[in-house]
Amino acid sequence: MSDTDKDGLIAKFITTVIGDKRRWRQYKARVKQLPPNYRTAVEAIERYVMHFGPSDSDGAASLFEDVADLFERAAADGTPIREIVGQDPVEFVEALVQNYTKGGYVARERNRLISAIDQAAGEDAGNQDGTV
Amino acid sequence: MSKQMTEMLKGVLEGIVLAILSGRSAYGYEITAWLREQGFSDIAEGTVYALLIRIEQRGFVDVAKVPSEKGPPRKVYSLNAQGRRHLDEFWKTWSFLSERLEQLHKGGT
Repeated sequence: MSDTDKDGLIAKFITTVIGDKRRWRQYKARVKQLPPNYRTAVEAIERYVMHFGPSDSDGAASLFEDVADLFERAAADGTPIREIVGQDPVEFVEALVQNYTKGGYVARERNRLISAIDQAAGEDAGNQDGTV
Repeated sequence: MSKQMTEMLKGVLEGIVLAILSGRSAYGYEITAWLREQGFSDIAEGTVYALLIRIEQRGFVDVAKVPSEKGPPRKVYSLNAQGRRHLDEFWKTWSFLSERLEQLHKGGT
């Protein structure tokens, strides 16, 4: 991805997802302070999360702040990158992302699926006995 | 650590961490180190961290920030009443599961 593409993606991400620029800038400033290899790891996670992470600004900002907390602490403890992230980085990030999916369109679509199936199964509100 | 071990551990890691915290409060690094010592050698600190965030959100633990000599404050987790109830529930489920599996293992039904 070229720098221009990347800047474009980030700009779009900040306005549509991050929303709160102050929290985003604070997070970026913290990442800059990390030792280079920790910083590289966090930026790789950040990129992945932009594509597959929370779809609401609060969720995304909280996730980035928690990632910064984890890597700042691990850098201070001298925990090697592999021991933080594990053998399967995708699995680790997906487990983390699961904690921040209460908002945005993902949550909305999940609720829509649940109520549509409730209705189809004849279990929608006011019809609790399960009969149609 | 085998792939099978990793997969099985996923389902019980929350219970393991709650059980550790029922004995004493601990921070993420300590919990991960203990698990590694116990033979779960590939457990990632990040995986434990993600789990700690989840059990905090679900209200099973209380969190205190404790200053550290080096680096940012550590988050120390302790099990609260709701967490204890959830742990009791976990052990009940575990007993049921292990009993049934043991029977299968012995060839009974």
